[in-house]
Amino acid sequence: MEVIYSLLPEHIAWEIRQFIKTEHFHPQEIRLRIDRPIELNKGRQVQWLSHLRISQKDAKYILNRISDHSIYRLEEELRQGYITIKGGHRIGISGSVIVENSAVKAIKHISSFNIRISNDVSGISKPFLPLLYDHHYLSTLIIGPPQSGKTTLLRDIARYVSSGLHKIPAQKTAVVDERSEICASLNGIPQSESGLRIDVLDQCPKSEGMMMLVRSMSPEVIIVDEIGNEKDVQAILEVINAGVSIMCSVHGRSYEEVLRRPALAPLFTLNLFNRILVLSNSNQVGEVIQILDSEGNNITKQSEYTV
Amino acid sequence: MKWIGALFVVITCLFAGLEYARKLEQRPKIIRLWKNSLLILEAEMVYSHAAVHEACDNIAQQMKGPLAHFFQTISRRLQMEPLELYEIWDEEVEKLWTRIALNKEDKEIIKQFGRTLGQHDIIQQKKYIQLTIAHLENKHQEAIEMNQRYGKVSGSLGLLFGLFIALLLL
Repeated sequence: MEVIYSLLPEHIAWEIRQFIKTEHFHPQEIRLRIDRPIELNKGRQVQWLSHLRISQKDAKYILNRISDHSIYRLEEELRQGYITIKGGHRIGISGSVIVENSAVKAIKHISSFNIRISNDVSGISKPFLPLLYDHHYLSTLIIGPPQSGKTTLLRDIARYVSSGLHKIPAQKTAVVDERSEICASLNGIPQSESGLRIDVLDQCPKSEGMMMLVRSMSPEVIIVDEIGNEKDVQAILEVINAGVSIMCSVHGRSYEEVLRRPALAPLFTLNLFNRILVLSNSNQVGEVIQILDSEGNNITKQSEYTV
Repeated sequence: MKWIGALFVVITCLFAGLEYARKLEQRPKIIRLWKNSLLILEAEMVYSHAAVHEACDNIAQQMKGPLAHFFQTISRRLQMEPLELYEIWDEEVEKLWTRIALNKEDKEIIKQFGRTLGQHDIIQQKKYIQLTIAHLENKHQEAIEMNQRYGKVSGSLGLLFGLFIALLLL
C-alpha cells in the first residue's frame, strides 16, 4: 500500500490511509474520478470518501508520479489503458482518446484512475494442484467472471508449479504475461514472489509469446491469462501438441457459456483441456464451484472449495 | 593616507574589470555545457526511454562542476520529494545561477525548458529539447561575440576607470 500512497497527493493519501485504518476496510480497488468523491471497493462492497474531490491538478500530479515525471515513457501504456507499477498494482485510466490512423494513439485529459490493488494471496491453489497433476500437469482452463480471482489463482498456480508442492516436483514453468498481471514484472523482472523455475515473457502478445517459449525455453508448463481470440486458440493447439501443458484463464460465467463461444470451439471439440476449474464471485471472491474433466463431468463429489 | 585610498580604488576597479572579463569568457563555455547536457538528455529520453531522474543521473555522471551537481540534485530530489518536477527544477536553477556566469535571459530559457520536461510524448519532448538547444545556440553566438568585443579590454577598462576615480578624488 505504501507504494500506492506515494503516488497520491499527500492529503488524499492521508485520508485514504486514515479511512482504511479506522474502518478496517481493505479495498481491492481505489477509484479516483475528477470532480467526484473517491471510491474504495472490495468486490461489491463500496465505500465513498465523500468529502474529498479530485481536481485536475491532482490528476496531473498522480500521472506525473506514476510516470516518474516522465510522461513520454507511458506512451505504450496509455495506449493500452493501464499502467503496472511497483508491487504489481495496476492503474487503469480513462479519459479522452486520441486516434491516429484509426488506432488508439494515446489517452489525454485523463478523467479517472482505477487503482487495482494486487492481491498476492499465497497458497490458494494448494487444494487443487494434486487434482491437476497426473505424472505431469494436465492442461487446465480456468473459467470465471471479472473480479472472480482468475489472475490471483493463476499467479498462485504459477508459484507452486514452478517451485514444487509436497511430492510434485518443480516444473519448468513459462509465463506469457501480456499485461504484466501474473508476475507483475517491472522492467522485465517479476515483482511478485514467484517460484524458482519460472521464466517470464513480459508484455508479449500471447499467441506469439507461447510459440516463442516453446521454441526457446523448453517449458513443461506454459501459463497465460485471458485467452479469447482465434490466434490464441491456434497457439494453444500448437503448444499442447508440442507436448507442453498449458494453464490459462478465460472470461465466462459457466462452462456451458464458454462452450458456446465460437472462437474457443476448437479447444473443446478436440478435448484439449483435461481439467476445467469454474470460479465464481457470487458468495466470495475466488470460490471454485466446479472442477471438470475434459468431457465436462465433475471430477469431485465435493462441489465446493473455498479459496 | 590619500595615496593608500587611491591605490585601493584602483585595485578594486581592476579586479572588477578582470572579474567581468572572466564572466564573459566563462559564459560561452557554460552555454556549451548546457547544450551538451540537453543532447544527452534527448538521447536518454528518446532512445532509451529513461525516466527524467535516470537521465539526470546519467548526465551528472558525464559532466563535472556545478552542472553535474545540479543534475545530481534534481535526480535525487525527484526520487525523494513529493514535489512537481518544475518546482524542483526552478528552485535548483535559482541556486545554480548564483554559482555560474550566466545571465537572466539564459535562466529564463532553462526555466521554460523545465516546465516542458517530462510533460509530453516523445515527439513533442524532442521538439522542446531542440527548441531549447536552438535558443541556447543563439545565446552562445552572442556570448562569443561579447567576449571577443569586451573580454580583452574590460580588464584594462577597469584599471583606467579606477585611475580616473582616483584622480578625481585626489
